[in-house]
Amino acid sequence: MLNTLISELRRAPVLDDPGRILQAHSVERRFLVIAALFLLVNTLSLWILRGDVADFWHGLAWGACAVFGHLVLNWRLPDRDPLLFPLAMFMAGWGIIAISRLQPPFADRQSIWLIVALCGMLAISWTRALLRLMRAFRYLLLFGGLAVLAVTIQVGINPSDPEGVFGAPALWIALGSLYIQPSEGLKIILVVFLASYLAEQYPTLRAEGLHTGRGRITVSPRILGPIALMWGLCVVVLVWQRDLGTAALFFIVFLVLLYTATGYTFIVYSGVLMLGAVGVIAYQLFAVVRLRIDIWWNPWLEAEGRAYQIVQSLMAFAAGGVFGQGIGQGAPGFIPVVHSDFMYAALAEEWGLIGALAVLVCLAVFSTRGIRIAIGQRGKPYQTLLAVGLSTLIAAQSLLIMGGVLKLIPLTGVTLPFFSYGGSSLVVTFLITGLLLRLSAREV
Amino acid sequence: MAFGRELHRLLIALLLMFMGIGLAAAYWAVTGPDALLDREDNPRRVLADAAVRRGAIFDRGGEALVRSFPQQDNTMRRVYLYPETASALGYFSQRYGAGGLEAAFDTALRGADRPINLSEALTAQLLHRPQVGSDIQLTLDVDVQRTVAQAMAGQRGAAVVMAIPSGQILSMVSLPTFDPNRLDADWNTLTADPGNPFFNRVLQGRYQPGAALQTPLIAAALLLDQPLDVEYRSASQPYALDGLQLECAVRLPPLSLSLREAYSFGCPTAFAAFAQNIDAGVLQATFDTFQLDLRPLIDGAVSTSDPLSNAPVEIDDANYLQNALGQGEQTVTPLSMVMIAASLINDGNTPYPTLLLGTRPPDSDSWLATLPSAPTIPFTTLETASRLQDLMRAAVAEGAAQNAGRPNIDIGGHTALAYSGDTTLAWFIGFATLGGRDAAAVAVVLEGSGDAGLAADIGGTALQAAGRALRQSGS
Repeated sequence: MLNTLISELRRAPVLDDPGRILQAHSVERRFLVIAALFLLVNTLSLWILRGDVADFWHGLAWGACAVFGHLVLNWRLPDRDPLLFPLAMFMAGWGIIAISRLQPPFADRQSIWLIVALCGMLAISWTRALLRLMRAFRYLLLFGGLAVLAVTIQVGINPSDPEGVFGAPALWIALGSLYIQPSEGLKIILVVFLASYLAEQYPTLRAEGLHTGRGRITVSPRILGPIALMWGLCVVVLVWQRDLGTAALFFIVFLVLLYTATGYTFIVYSGVLMLGAVGVIAYQLFAVVRLRIDIWWNPWLEAEGRAYQIVQSLMAFAAGGVFGQGIGQGAPGFIPVVHSDFMYAALAEEWGLIGALAVLVCLAVFSTRGIRIAIGQRGKPYQTLLAVGLSTLIAAQSLLIMGGVLKLIPLTGVTLPFFSYGGSSLVVTFLITGLLLRLSAREV
Repeated sequence: MAFGRELHRLLIALLLMFMGIGLAAAYWAVTGPDALLDREDNPRRVLADAAVRRGAIFDRGGEALVRSFPQQDNTMRRVYLYPETASALGYFSQRYGAGGLEAAFDTALRGADRPINLSEALTAQLLHRPQVGSDIQLTLDVDVQRTVAQAMAGQRGAAVVMAIPSGQILSMVSLPTFDPNRLDADWNTLTADPGNPFFNRVLQGRYQPGAALQTPLIAAALLLDQPLDVEYRSASQPYALDGLQLECAVRLPPLSLSLREAYSFGCPTAFAAFAQNIDAGVLQATFDTFQLDLRPLIDGAVSTSDPLSNAPVEIDDANYLQNALGQGEQTVTPLSMVMIAASLINDGNTPYPTLLLGTRPPDSDSWLATLPSAPTIPFTTLETASRLQDLMRAAVAEGAAQNAGRPNIDIGGHTALAYSGDTTLAWFIGFATLGGRDAAAVAVVLEGSGDAGLAADIGGTALQAAGRALRQSGS
């Protein structure tokens, strides 16, 4: 195994069409330059506003990451998707600037996390055998992930509420002064597991999933089995961790993968119904779910009480208007934990509707590029499902939190991918980017 | 291709959902400003208010009374430079809003009164310039205000000084008062204070007039050609009314007094006898002529929704004597009383009181004068006013108001006592002529004090200070 890895690292990829590839590199470079200009203007604005240059090193770190990442990718993955890396860097850079404006001390940590995340992404894109290895050791990965989740349930804490006084979801494991959120990593593991499982099972599923003869419909245990497993996992996450967002995310990704593999539309409908049913039951059983749904349904009754956060979030959109207040000029600080769950509202207040739509377009392009990569994997079910699962993770997480802060759906405490503060979240989104880049490369 | 149909459907579904989010964001960004930002619970409003560069307030001589200073956090700190002016100016606090004149002239001080053109609005919006308010110049004179406030130190009550013929208020003191620089810290104590320090007694205090109503009564007697020199027996003795003993402004031995002498000493007994000669209709007409029910509003300085504004008093045979002696339902504000004094020195017509001299827009060096004040209000005839002046001069020369006298100043006045529940009120109204048509009028009321001499003394001090201030500004 080690020998394979070492030989992988030494081998440079073979280019089939140097002209087209160089053009793609140039596209990526141009996007990175545009991103750098945007970030530079905003850094300068913030600098003028604050009158100190303490945060300037974030920009330098970002620039170094962009150049280094671009060069390494050119070398290791020359024939990759030219949009994913600039988009990821642009969004992460914008996120760091926003964090630096909202919670200056956190921006230092986020910049360090960006470097870690980039290294993780490059390591993944470097290793050709990774996809194969992940597939081979899928059960090990899954049970390892579940074991870490179990440990989190036992010893997890919340950095904002270490004593558990406020009953905040305890999703983190403390390693010294470092907090890691294992459910973030579990997302990737789950997608890898499901993609490899369904890639093997899908012909059978498609063939015998439904017996419609004589008007009888039966569901194969091959479908019911993973459904039950996922259902159980979601319930565990929901009940023991009160992590509504991750539970919903797991379930949505699972539904999308199962639908893609089997092609049965009824899976989507019944999945949505099950999600609704779980919602109703959870509403009855868990105060945190009841609270989220009540304030979603009518936040105005308790605008200064329990619904303060969502009302402030909507006011941030209103205050931003079309053109925004300008960086450092709005008052998104009125929204509690704005740098994490409510980053989208902060961006909308300071960069306006134009900024909010730009964020939306970036995330939409990123996830649809992922689906495009899946479409490109002709005859490779594992790679197709993996790309679908990973892009759905980003898309669903973005839609859940953006819909939540806009009061379209009840709030689920997930981060806005790339933008929100959080080391685990940033590293995982960059690992997903790395995997998608790897999948987009021709020679995989 | 395997999965092709599913993937394309997924792609479309995702794009539709992202579009939905975009539409929701557009909805709140476009309709939100109207629907959400005006909500009372929008903390951004407080922030915007805190950044407003509120205009300064100056006295008539250009002395700054209140200024706003920017702080490090981009908010403004309001600083009151003369503690003696607090009762006149009111207060402004981020937390508790504005009161008194700060509230009355809030629109100008905040800069909300100025027309703003589109490019100005756009620049302000783009560059996040705070709203800048206009400075205002009041008719108050800081020296007169300080002199009167010092003279009244330790008392509870009100004093108001008006310049004639302009009707400009030179001083407005209401006690007890408060320190507007410590408002946020003292708020709970101040609001719980039974003395009600936020209450501007000059404008809002409705007092029992008692024998201070003798001035309109004498005016009625003069108009009716009633003799003032007929003597009434034991007129210096207290007059018993509804369990109260109404006394002269100064203690006198048992004497017979004419109406003229009774006025000089503020004795009620002769007036009670005189009141028998006139009927309720005459008394009602007298009160109406002197507009005792009128609650003058100085440039909107008092909210019209003030619960203290009362309905006109209907005088009939049952309440006739009480009202004639100033112990009935008819109450007066110190401002109405100074208007009576002002009418006597202004040919029987009282000037309408004003407080605002001008405003100065933030980007300008010159003051914009406010419109000329309202026309004078006729209270009595020229002849009656002239004879009342003489009666008041006599009261200062040899009557109960002697303490108001000051060397080399022509001062007339009337001092009297009134009773309100268990407390006694001491009143003084008076005037000083300053040469030509220029004069000053004053009204003083002291709560819980039977010392009419002190009220007269404060009145004299106020008139002397007003004379000095008006001569200085005239020269």
